[in-house]
Amino acid sequence: MNEIDYNLPKQTHDIFAIMARGHFISSNGTKDNMSRLYDIINNPENFDRLQAFFNVIRYNIERGNNYFYFSRLNEANSLIEQKLETFERYIDVIDLFASMDNKITIGSRFRPSEIAEECNANVRLKQKLQKIPMYRSETLLNKVRDICNLMTRDSFLELEDEQTESYKVLDAYTYLLDMINAISIYEETTGMDTNSSGIILN
Amino acid sequence: MENTRILNRIVQINISNVKYADIELSGNTCFVGTNNFGKTSLQRAILFFYSANSRGLGIAQSQKSFEEHYFRYENSYLIYEIATPEKNFFVMVYRHNKLVFRFVDSPYNPDIFLNSNDEAMKIKEIVSNIEKQGIFVSNQIDTFERYRNIIFGTETDKQLSKFYLLKGNEKYQNIPKSITNVFLSSKSSIDSRFIKDFIANSLTNENSSIKLEQVERQLRQFNEKYTDIETYVKKETTQLIELIDKKYDQVHMLKGAQMEMADKLGSSLRYAETQNESIREAAKKKEEELEVLTKAHEEQLYTINEKQNEIREEIGFYDRTIREANKKLKEYKDKNIDEAVEKNAEREKLQVELNIARREYESLTSNVANIELKYSSLIEQLRNDKAAYVNKINARTSEIFNHYNELQLLQKNEFNKRDAELKQKRDESLSEVTQEVTAKQIEFNELKSEEKVIRTTRFYEQEIKNLENELAELRAVSYKNKSERAIKQNMVQTIQREWENLETKLKTALTNQINQTNNEIIKLKNEIKEVESKLNVQHDAFYGYLEKNVKNWQNTIGKVVNEKILFRTDISPELKEATANTLYGISLNLDNVEVISKSIEEYQFEKNERLAHIRDLEEGLTKFQTANNEEKMLAADKFGKQLGEFKEDLKVLTYSLELADKREQKLQIELEDWKMKAGGEVEESLTSNRQRLNLIEEELAVLTKKKNNLLNDFNNQFDKVKIFSDERLADLKERQETEISELEVEKKNQVKDYEAKEDELSKEKESNFKSKGVDAKQLKEVEGRMKELQASLKDIEQYAQIVSDYLKDKREKFDKLPDLIQKKEEFVKSNNDLGAQLDENTGKFNLKRMELNKQKRTFDEELIEFNNGVNFFSNNFRETPVYNKYADIIERAEPKRTNYNIMDLCTQLLKNDSHFNEEYGAFQRYVNEFAGKFKIDNHFNFIIRNDATQGEYERFAQNLRSFINENKIELSIAETATQIGLVTDSIATKVKELSGQKEKIQHIITLIGEDFKKAEFEESKLIEFIKIKIEESDNKVYRLLKRIEEFREEHGLVYNEGLFNTDFATGQKREISGRAVKLLEQLRTAIKEQEQDEIRLQDLFELKFNIKEGMNETGWTHKIDSIGSTGTDILVKAIIYITLLHVFIKESSHRSSSEFKVHCIIDEVGQISAHYLRELLKFAKNRNIMMINGLPNKSGLESHYRYTYQFRREDTGNVRIFPSIVTEVEA
Repeated sequence: MNEIDYNLPKQTHDIFAIMARGHFISSNGTKDNMSRLYDIINNPENFDRLQAFFNVIRYNIERGNNYFYFSRLNEANSLIEQKLETFERYIDVIDLFASMDNKITIGSRFRPSEIAEECNANVRLKQKLQKIPMYRSETLLNKVRDICNLMTRDSFLELEDEQTESYKVLDAYTYLLDMINAISIYEETTGMDTNSSGIILN
Repeated sequence: MENTRILNRIVQINISNVKYADIELSGNTCFVGTNNFGKTSLQRAILFFYSANSRGLGIAQSQKSFEEHYFRYENSYLIYEIATPEKNFFVMVYRHNKLVFRFVDSPYNPDIFLNSNDEAMKIKEIVSNIEKQGIFVSNQIDTFERYRNIIFGTETDKQLSKFYLLKGNEKYQNIPKSITNVFLSSKSSIDSRFIKDFIANSLTNENSSIKLEQVERQLRQFNEKYTDIETYVKKETTQLIELIDKKYDQVHMLKGAQMEMADKLGSSLRYAETQNESIREAAKKKEEELEVLTKAHEEQLYTINEKQNEIREEIGFYDRTIREANKKLKEYKDKNIDEAVEKNAEREKLQVELNIARREYESLTSNVANIELKYSSLIEQLRNDKAAYVNKINARTSEIFNHYNELQLLQKNEFNKRDAELKQKRDESLSEVTQEVTAKQIEFNELKSEEKVIRTTRFYEQEIKNLENELAELRAVSYKNKSERAIKQNMVQTIQREWENLETKLKTALTNQINQTNNEIIKLKNEIKEVESKLNVQHDAFYGYLEKNVKNWQNTIGKVVNEKILFRTDISPELKEATANTLYGISLNLDNVEVISKSIEEYQFEKNERLAHIRDLEEGLTKFQTANNEEKMLAADKFGKQLGEFKEDLKVLTYSLELADKREQKLQIELEDWKMKAGGEVEESLTSNRQRLNLIEEELAVLTKKKNNLLNDFNNQFDKVKIFSDERLADLKERQETEISELEVEKKNQVKDYEAKEDELSKEKESNFKSKGVDAKQLKEVEGRMKELQASLKDIEQYAQIVSDYLKDKREKFDKLPDLIQKKEEFVKSNNDLGAQLDENTGKFNLKRMELNKQKRTFDEELIEFNNGVNFFSNNFRETPVYNKYADIIERAEPKRTNYNIMDLCTQLLKNDSHFNEEYGAFQRYVNEFAGKFKIDNHFNFIIRNDATQGEYERFAQNLRSFINENKIELSIAETATQIGLVTDSIATKVKELSGQKEKIQHIITLIGEDFKKAEFEESKLIEFIKIKIEESDNKVYRLLKRIEEFREEHGLVYNEGLFNTDFATGQKREISGRAVKLLEQLRTAIKEQEQDEIRLQDLFELKFNIKEGMNETGWTHKIDSIGSTGTDILVKAIIYITLLHVFIKESSHRSSSEFKVHCIIDEVGQISAHYLRELLKFAKNRNIMMINGLPNKSGLESHYRYTYQFRREDTGNVRIFPSIVTEVEA
């Protein structure tokens, strides 16, 4: 069986190239024809074909709110743990973004300098930003830039205009918010240490 | 003198760094000189003769322009002498601001230009010199175009028309182009692309290419718009729009409500501030009023009480008097006072009768006085004894009687005392209880009247009235708004209908126009096809035969043969001299007969005319469509704006109606609440009143019971005392009676003894009387009568005192009793009246007091509420961001009483603000998400900054709403659809224009192929054949362009109905539009990938060569640079150039004009062998082409040229060009 047997769209390769890297395809993305790719996957006929095709190679297309991504079938626990560790730092980033005066939500357009300025003017935000571990980020602005780069690399943001350094928040950002919302903090009541707490990801 | 026309000579005077050079060019010419000595410059100057285009000479942009480099001085001249069979003439080029030309009808003569010092003169002098010599010199020719027209024989000015080199046809421009191309291409590598370029460049001008940058820009603009629309019409986007719209309304409403509330808060605060003191004053006033009222009431109460006490005393007095009188009367009655009074009335009469009886007795006893006296003394004695005894006994009885009476009296007194004590005790106790009862009764009555007051009081009257008024106003406004909404809805429907009608009209007009145009185009196309079919077959048809073989056939056969026969290919024409100029042997004079046949040019013209007509029609259609769209847009603008305004008004009305509805419901609920509250208040007051009443009733019952018990108790005590006293009295009476009766019995017995003795004495007396003769019987009767009377009188005497007392009492008391009773009753009535008055007054007082208390309480409560509110505002609201947000409204509000308290308003504002923030957050999120779906530079201008203010977000929503109301998406779709039509049309037109020339290429290639065939290489045997063929282009962009053009041809011009159309009926058009969009997208991608600036004629086809050189055959290939050695390559290249040049010249010159020669300028030919060179020159010569070549140095090759010039740089830096002396070994 090859691509032709599945009657796959001709952009299948592009779709795979993006999603197999662990990236998302968002409906409001403009780079690399992303919104077109989204529309192609979103077409029910295409979706079924693509799903069947990718399942063969043990990938599953997951549908979010206006975005798609791959999950692995029968993923090893160690990999999941690793992913969670990677995700951990996003908790602080989302926390920072959600604490801004001008909240950063899906579709928002912003410049790193704006965030850095706000953090500079607000001690609470500054502390939150400083808490985020980023190497070689000497100034606040560089740190925000690094965060933006990281998020762009992970396809949560899109550098819309390089000249003005303007970023756009993609639909995949919902994934991060959903993840954060899925975290429940519970109090250990039966254990020896009554103060201990932890997170459960459901 | 030559028999042909040719550029005979070029003279340079002060040109570049050549002071003077005179170079003959009437044969093959060779320039020998090392690099940078000016060989190429000279060749360029020769080329300029042919091309007359200073820009197409291959001068790099970094170098000086042709004008700057060549014409440095005002006396710089380039002179071209043209040899003709008749007379040579020359043309001079000089700079007069720009380059200009003058034709001189004379062979070149240096004296015209140079003075005696061999210095070039100024143009004026030169012209005047020429004119002086009577030689014709043309006016200044200002344009290159005109110059070319003259040189290539198309000038219509008779004075100038003789100065031609050759007679070109309408395609003569190809000649200078070809010569230029050969010159410019001579250094390039040799492949088919180059040949393609050559052919294409020769056939086209600079403008005949498709600028891909422009196409890409158009496509990008279209694509951006298309993507924007596509994004807009997506389901998710539409949902977001709905959400934004809804949220905006909510947010707007909440904001309005908050502002209203803030205004109320401000009003309440101001009111509280301004009213505080006055309320305080009012409360104080009410308190004073209450005090005055209470005091007045107490005074009144006191007065009435005083009066009542007096009256009660009076009543008590009369009551007592009446009671005593009645008691006495009863006592008198018990003593049979009536009988006693009656008897007492007979007393006087009885006394008279007794005196009469006494006198009678004395008269009877006067004879026996002694005896009488004796016995009378004895009897009297006895009687005295008896009386003494009786008296004694009576005294004793009386003593006993009195003793016991005294004891009884004591007992009675004791009883009375005890009774009085008990009574006092009872009265005291009773008075306590009664007082208590009275107090309770008063309280009870008060409560009763209070209940009446409560029942009649309307609680929260003002609030309810206010609410009712507000409700009435609200309903009136709602009614007005509802009718206004209905009117506006009608207006909206009407406008919509109008709009739809206009749109339908426009659409129909457009469809009609499209159909009409398409029909006309189809008709014209058919005609074109017909013409084309004629043109295609003309070579093989009778027409072609006539063209080739019969001179001026149009004037002979052309006048008698019909068109159909002319274009038949199956009639095999053959020329038979015998019948020439006759029609089947019959000679005709055809001078006056019209020519039927048309020239190829005329057919071509017809075709072009129709094509132009089609273009006109299409342009007309495009204009119509644009006008239609504009009209549509105008309508959309007009109706859309109106609709938008109305819809906005409708929305506002609906919103205000909704608000009014909610408000009404709220007010209704509030009203119900107030009513309930009022009812509750009444109920509550009544309940508490009733409870208190019940309590008092119970207390009263208890008190009554207590009173009864007390009375019973006292009655028992009274009874006991009475029984005891009665028993004691009875006992005393009994003892008294017993003792008295014993004494009576004793007395009776003793009296009997005395009476017996008396009777004995009486009898002795009687016997003595009898003995003395006295009537004893009469005497006894008198005596008996006397006794009776005395007894009666005694009896009367017994009651004398009591009767006397009775009569006195009667006179003093009993007779006054009715008066006393009446007076008592009067007093009782007065007392009752006073009680009633007291009750009434108390009731009134209570009511008034309650009212005042209520009013005071209201003021107090209000004051407390104000103070609490102001405190709450200061402590819990003033420092919050909500206050800052609405500070303006709060601080500027007018003082006004509202139905809400400050605390509630503050709390509600805070609560609402958090709700507002939540809703606003959602609204912002939706706006961001929506705007994020579009590119930052989307043509809808849906853009919002992350740090946008609330106002900007709201404006965004408003604009979005206007966008929807004015149906701008439809406009955008129409625009984009027009754009796709225009883009496709523009591409199709360009492709058509460009590919229209493909036929020419095909024609040229055929000619070249034929020319190759004719070439004679037999002598050298080096090149056996050169074959050329044309193939379809493999240029991806061109292919796509071509597909678009075909698509456009197939589906016509207009796509706008289909674009984004979801209507099933026009679904097919959508599919077509979809294909068009896809094609354009593919083209855009291809342009991006291919990175090509333009599509030129050479991109439309591929050329392939097959060359056999010796034993080597290249096979069909694009490249021809690896045929053999470099020399071979150059040879082949040069052969191809010459062939091309030949073909082009032949094609572009008039058929009648064959006596001319042109030059082929190929710069470097140094690597070619002498043998080959000779071959080449011969090849050129056979085609009337003279070669101008450059050589770096003398190598013997120059001997093959007719003229050889050498270049030398002098010490001054000038270059000298001089002829080299060689022996021509020309072929």
